[in-house]
This record gives sequence, C-alpha cells and structure tokens, in this order.
Amino acid sequence: MLTLAAVMVPSSVSPVTTFFQQIEIGVTLGAMYALVALGYTLVYGIIELINFAHGDVFMWSTVVTLAIVQAMPAVNPNNPLAVIGVLIMLIAVGMLVSGAINFSIERFAYRRLRKAPRLAPLIAAIGASFVLETIAQLWRGSSFVAFPSIFPDSRLSLGGFHISLLDVVILVLAIGLMLGLDRFIRLTKMGKAMRATAQDPEAAALMGVNINRTISITFIIGGALAGAAGVLYNLYIGQVWFFTGFQLGLIAFTAAVLGGIGNIYGAVLGGFIIGLVEALTIQYIPGGFAWADAVVFAILVLILVVRPSGLLGQQTPNKV
Amino acid sequence: MAQDQAQPLLQVRGLVQRFGGLAAVDGVDLDIMKGQIYSIIGPNGAGKTTVFNLITGIYKPTQGDISFEGRSIAGLRPDQVLRRGITRTFQNIRLFNNMTVLENVLVGQHTQLPGDVVSALFRLPNYRRAERHAEQRAIELLGFFGSSLVDQKDEYAASLSYAERRRVEIARALGSNPKLMLLDEPTAGMNDAETADAVQYIQRLRKEFNLSILLIEHKLQVTMGISDRIAVLDYGKKIAEGVPAEIQRDERVIEAYLGRKTAVE
Amino acid sequence: MATNTPAKTTSSWMDGVRRWVNDTKIAGRPLMWYLTGWRFAVIAVVLAVLLPLITPDMYQDIQSLRVAMISVFVYVMLALGLNIVVGYAGLLDLGYVAFFVIGSYTMAAGTAGQINNWAGKLINIPSFPFILLLPVGAFLAGIFGVLLGAPTLRLRGDYLAIVTLGFGEIVPIVFQNIPIFFGQFGISATQPVPIETPLGELSFTDPLNSTPFYYLSLAVVVLVTLGVFMLRDSSIGRAWVAIREDETAAEASGVNLTNTKLLAFALGAFVGGIGGVMNTAYQPNIAPSNFSFSISITILIMVVLGGIGSIPGVILGALALRLFDVFLLQRINDPVHQSALVAPINAPLHFLAGIDFNTLKLLIYGIVLIIMILLRPQGLIPDARRRRELAGVGAAPEGMSAAGLLEQEEVGGDVLGAGESLDTTEYTGAGSDAQGRE
Repeated sequence: MLTLAAVMVPSSVSPVTTFFQQIEIGVTLGAMYALVALGYTLVYGIIELINFAHGDVFMWSTVVTLAIVQAMPAVNPNNPLAVIGVLIMLIAVGMLVSGAINFSIERFAYRRLRKAPRLAPLIAAIGASFVLETIAQLWRGSSFVAFPSIFPDSRLSLGGFHISLLDVVILVLAIGLMLGLDRFIRLTKMGKAMRATAQDPEAAALMGVNINRTISITFIIGGALAGAAGVLYNLYIGQVWFFTGFQLGLIAFTAAVLGGIGNIYGAVLGGFIIGLVEALTIQYIPGGFAWADAVVFAILVLILVVRPSGLLGQQTPNKV
Repeated sequence: MAQDQAQPLLQVRGLVQRFGGLAAVDGVDLDIMKGQIYSIIGPNGAGKTTVFNLITGIYKPTQGDISFEGRSIAGLRPDQVLRRGITRTFQNIRLFNNMTVLENVLVGQHTQLPGDVVSALFRLPNYRRAERHAEQRAIELLGFFGSSLVDQKDEYAASLSYAERRRVEIARALGSNPKLMLLDEPTAGMNDAETADAVQYIQRLRKEFNLSILLIEHKLQVTMGISDRIAVLDYGKKIAEGVPAEIQRDERVIEAYLGRKTAVE
Repeated sequence: MATNTPAKTTSSWMDGVRRWVNDTKIAGRPLMWYLTGWRFAVIAVVLAVLLPLITPDMYQDIQSLRVAMISVFVYVMLALGLNIVVGYAGLLDLGYVAFFVIGSYTMAAGTAGQINNWAGKLINIPSFPFILLLPVGAFLAGIFGVLLGAPTLRLRGDYLAIVTLGFGEIVPIVFQNIPIFFGQFGISATQPVPIETPLGELSFTDPLNSTPFYYLSLAVVVLVTLGVFMLRDSSIGRAWVAIREDETAAEASGVNLTNTKLLAFALGAFVGGIGGVMNTAYQPNIAPSNFSFSISITILIMVVLGGIGSIPGVILGALALRLFDVFLLQRINDPVHQSALVAPINAPLHFLAGIDFNTLKLLIYGIVLIIMILLRPQGLIPDARRRRELAGVGAAPEGMSAAGLLEQEEVGGDVLGAGESLDTTEYTGAGSDAQGRE
C-alpha cells in the first residue's frame, strides 16, 4: 500500500531501535486491522457470508469524516478539549455512517437472497462493493486526498524510538472497542441472541430470537467497528483514497481468516499479526511497500490451503 | 448360496473412524461374499452410514483396512472407488435436481465415456458412438423399473415422486457397471406398497445385474426377509453377525434396540 | 379472434409486443421462429459477415462500427471464457483478467521486435505472425488457468472468489515488475509479421483496412462459440453441472472433481487468452494499468446480465455492454463536459463537468449487477437449467436436508445423513479435509 510509505522509519536510526519501532507501528496498524477484521468475522459467523463490501464500508467512514473535517474550521491541536471533542464527534460519525451503510446492504440486498444459491449474495456483495467505490470516486476523485492533522504532535521518545500520543489513543480506543464488543457478546441479551443465531439459527428462532433483527444488529455493529477504524486510519495515515477499502478489505479479511473466521478473538489476534507482518515487510524487504500486499495475500492462500480453520478456529460448530 | 467363494468380495478389518475424540466406528470387521445381499443394521448413531462413507472413500479410516477383490481401497477417492466397482446410493437421495432424469443416469455412466476434451470438442466418431450407446443404456437402466421412468426421462429430477427419485438414483448408480452396490436406507420414507416394490427390485438387481448388495436398513421386516447375512452395529462396534434367524434371536441385538427405545418398524 | 382475456391496461403494451412477435409473419413463418435457436445464430452471423460491406471504415477510430465490433468480439471471447468457469462449473473466478493479461502480453512480446533483457538493455527479438501467436497465447493462458486454479479447488465459493481476485490483482503487478516487459510503461506490439490474403494484409496494424482482421476475429468467435456448445453438451459439460449441483454425488458417480474443475479453469483461461491476443492485435499499446479489477467485473456483469451459463446470453451481454460503452458513453463524454462547463455555475448541469464518465460507467455497471442479481438472476436470455436454479422454478422436493432460515445449497454437507447424531461437518467454511467435507 503506497500510503504506508508514510510509516517507514528513517535510516538514520539504529537497527535495534528500528526493529522496535516497526513493532510499535505494526501493533498500531494491527489494532485498526483488528477492528475491521471483527466486522468480517461477525458477519461471517452469523450468516456464513463474506461481506465483500466491508472494506468499502470502512472507506466510506474515511471519506465522510474527511468531508466533515474539511468543512469545519481548523482545529487547534493545542486545545485538548477541542481535540477530544472533535475526535469523539468524528468517531461517532464514522461509526454511524459505516453502521448505516452495512445495515442497508444487508437489509436491501443480502436479506432477499438468503435462500438463493450461494453465488447470488456473493455477486450482490461484489456489486455493492463496486457501487460504493465508484460513488466515492465520483465524489472525491481518484487520487489521494490529505486528511488534515488534528492531533498535537507530542510524543514519547527514547533514543530514536517514538511513541506518539496518537498511537496511544488509537490503541486505547481500539482495545476499548474490542473489550466493549466482548462484553456485549458475552453479557447482553442481544449478544446471546447473536451467538445463538450463529450456532443454530433454526433453534434460535424456535427459542424466540428475532433472527432478522439479530442479523441487522450484527451488521450495524460490524460496520460501526469498521467506521471507527476508518477515523483512526485517517488520523494515522492521513491519506484518503476511494480504493483503500479494497486493499484494506483484503488485508483485514486475511487477518480474520488467519485468526479463524467466525471467531472474534481470532480476528483480533489475526489483525495484530498481520499488522506486524506488514510493518516488518515494508521495512525489511526491498521495495517493501509494493510487495506488502502480495505477502499478505500469500499468507491468505497459505492458510486456506494448509489450515483453513485458522489459528483459533475449531473443527466443531462453535462460531463467535 | 455364494458362500463357496473362498475370497470375500469386500473385506473390512479393524475399521476405526475417529472424529475428534469420538470413535464413530470402533473396530469393525466385515466379509461380504460375491452375490450376497448383506445388511447392516443397528440403532441410530451406530455408525452405519460412516461405514458406508469409509468404504466409498468419503472418509479415510483412522485405522483398519478395507479391501475389494483382494486389493486395498482404504483412502481412495470416491471416484476411484467407483472405478474399482463399488457404487452407492444416499440416505437422503442425492440426485442432480436441475438435470433431467436421463441426464442424471448419464452422469452415472461418466466413467464409461471418453472424458477428454478433444473427443468432445471435435465430436470424434468414438465419442459419438459412446454417447449414443450411453443414451441407449440409460434408457435400458430406467426401463428396469418399468416404463414410467422412461416416459419421464426428460423431466427434471426434482419433479418426480420420492419413490421414483429413489429409482433414478439406483439407475444412476448402475451406470458404472458395478460389482457391489451400497444402498443406504433405500426404503426410508416409503409406505408399505412402495417398500414391497423396493424389496422386489432389490432382489431383481442382484439377479439381473449380477450384483452383490450391501444394505443399511431400518425396517427389520425388510432386512429379515431379504438378507443373506446381517451384521448389527451399536456404538460403532459389531455386536452380532449371522443369518437373519440367528440375529432375530440374539439377545444383545434385542437389548440394543429395546434398551434404546428406538422405533423398530 | 375474440378471446376472453380481460384487457389489462398496465401490461398491455408488453402483451402487445408479445402478440406482435408471435403473430407477425415473414415468408410464411412467425417472427418468433426466426428468433430462436440456431436460426437466430445463422442470421446473426450473416449480419456480422455483411457488416463491413455496408458500413464505412474509419481507420482506427474506435467509433467506427467495424472497429467497435472487433472490440465486441474480444469481449465476447472473455465472456464466453468466464461463462465456462462461472456458468458451467460454478466457480466464481474474479481474477479472470489475469488470462486476458497473459494473452495480451504474449501477443505484444511476440510482435514487439524488442524487449528488455534482465539487465534492462534493449535487445532485438524476432516477430511472429498473429496466427501463430494466437494458440501460443491461448495455451500459456490455459497453463496459468491450471496453476491459478489448483490452490482454489477445495475452497468454498466465497473463498474461491477472494483468492482468484487476489491472483487477478497480482498477475498484472508481476508483469509490471518484470523489466523485460518495460515495467509500468507497457509494451507495444509494433511489428506483426504480415500475412497476405485476397482481402488485403491480414493484420490490424494496417490502418487503411481493418476488414481482414474483422473477418478473422469473427471466424475465431464463431469457432470458439461452436466449441463451447460442443463442450456444454458433452460428458464434460454434464460433469460440470453435476459438480455444481452436488459435488458429493458427482464424485460418487465417478467424476474426478479436481481434474474436472481444473479443466474448467484451463478452458476458460484458454479462451480468455485468445481474447487477450486478439485485443493486442488491434490495440497494440498495452500497459499494466490497462488491466484492472474493473475488467474482471465488467466481464462478470456481461455474464450476469446476459444470463449465467447461457451462450447466447453472454454474447448478448458482451455486445450490449460493449456497444453501450463505446457508442453511448464515449460519445457523450466530451459533449456533456463541454456544455456542462459553459453552463452557469449554479445550474445542475454544471456539476456534470466534474464527472468522469468512465467512473460513471463503472457505477452503472455495479448498479446493473445488483439489480440483475436481485430481480432477474437468470439474466436476459436465461439458460433453461439456470433459470430453474436461480428463479426458483421447481422447489426442492421432500427428502432434501431441512430447509431453514439460512438454507444454502451446500454441496457436500450432511454426508452423515439424517439418522446419524454425529455432526462433524460444520465449521470449516473455508475448506475441507478428509474428515470434514463442506
């Protein structure tokens, strides 16, 4: 991904420090990938469909939040209240936009095709992905647009090693969302409904679970997580592009499969692993950022051929 | 009786199949002689269909061996097993619903037709001859059951009645000129008249096609009436084996069925 | 002819059309008779043959009907090829463009006269005639069809789509990074070996006469179409349908799943390679940026729009979409932009100035795809069998595994049958192994 050139480390720093810096970068990226991967895994767990358009749902959060930031007066990075306020607002908007788009795709396309042969919803997903991409392209053009920086550039430095405030915020927010999701799934009634539907929809329906509503909520949550990731991505990478969804979608999907599709802990694990792999590839393989995508894809093919159930996947019916 | 053949047609030794920690099949031995109708019975969950799946190559046995005509077939792919001469039908009738009856039976003859691209593309004489022959044979196979299937040969398989679909499935299975046919609950879902009819054509199958037949069957009247020998499975193990009269009197068998409170027809 | 049919005002125009088509007679036969089956094909071919004689040739102007038809032929190739993989074998190959790329680069390399060697220096290489490069490109593509298809064989639909998608992305990237093909600047087919025919020199790069190449491409299209028909009605074609319907039963009937699926990939790729070679023959400058995912999608849309699995359908789909693109969109792109720019700033028309019609075209394609799959998944000219599958004609009979809220025609599932209590086939949606078939 060309945009990741932004995170390469200058060569003036010592190799050890570089290594740890890449780890840090990888973890930060991984947190964002994990959020998107969760969206894939939640949806797959409940209706056994790969939501092809999920990456583009993520992308739309980046595009809309960009528009908002551009329409606002500039944020003063030194005013903590303003920064926090704007951050919260953007995340809320991102989650809302992506959640709504994901919900709509399910409601108007996938739902009608639940009984159709598997080829049909897959094709619908591809069509949806295409539509989302081209509308964004028409609105925002085909090239990268810079996302203005809102965050103060404060960072903690040890020798050549930096952790910026932004990185910490990203990690905290991402992990917070993941924990929130975990509690939601385990403790709330809707969470139980989701798990029940994922395991056995007929039995769940017989127990009184409203399947349609459960599926819709799953899509909303999955989309919202991707939306949050979108905002964080904008802040971190700073470049908005209509095609990011396609690339990041592939990466996050690989992460979900690596961890075990249908398993939310797997999605998180997979996200972090892939983040690290990407960061290390870019730094250490010459011409790295051109090959990073190929490496991730190679991982995908390898998993699917060798161990399709992923790292945390099980051979028994136990999804999400 | 076909018991004077020294070499069993199908021989299963020490067959074990584990899924995770559970042994679905736990050390089963079988000898099926040429020309026999051999039944496997047992309560639900006893492992009968798993044995079928192991024989036909859908699963690879965890342990044990299966040999057909003296050669091992354990671990072969289903289409390879078919080429050795073993064919099967499925418990819940797996026909190709969006193909016609005739096409279904033609697929059964897949191994008898030239499968290469060149013959198909250029419609070489060997290809045309083989296709013509296959179509004739398909009609013959359908005709084994009487004229009604032949009359419906261009209907889509989905539109036939349940009993008719079962017959089409058997006709398809005959296409490969098998020596051994595995029938998985061939009378499931049939009423008494259809069942009696099925019993008749199963016996005719043995005679007219020179087949040996391995049967899974829940209806004990059918089994007792039609089988040369019966093996009883329970919890993956063979608990009894013998001619129908012996099995009917076997205490372990009675207990296995009654103890489970399984519906015995 | 008084009948009892009540006059229905809402659909009366469609009934009217239908009645007209059924009743109108030409030379003593109803019009419908001419529009079906092989007679229609004959008429279409005759029209195609007559076309160059009745339309003007405008050099390499894409908007001359003759040249546009050549590009239609290329896409018909691609649509037919994808139809073999998706329509017959039921394997959703989203990276189909890879085979198009391979065919294109074969033609380009075979006629460029010069390439970079590995050190980056320009060297001369011989040129070959188009006729020779056509099978070479096709076979190379076919080989890649097997290579790229092999890892996907045990994957279920969704995963197969994504993996093939990835391959489709990677192949152009690989060509871009191999220096012998001039990297991202691409390579030009500049010196095809000329072959003389009575109609003129048989290579497109003679700008004064595209007619011989037109007829050559038409001949290729007709031959390939015949070939696909032959395949469809053969034991191979039946095996493909059987695999689509029920892999387990197909395998139990003697179909070698691996080889049969690979054959679909190989043949589909072969045809795609033909398309690629033809394409470079008339558009000699190719670069990796020409080959993107949007081509794979465009071909998919042609297939879905026309009718999955239906030969006349996909031909129609290719024809319709290509002509739509060439004649409608390209033509209105400039005039609309011109008038949009001079319109007053606040007028709605002005905003059209910023719209790139290529992107708009892709948006339309995406919408068409969604609409088709939702409302008429069997396509415009449905294949009889697919119409049953997709439009739900003929419900699943009793004895099938239980229908549920999320019923999918999962092949290979429920092998243990309704009586067994052991459920081990769940979960690994991504693939299968000897123990858990999905």
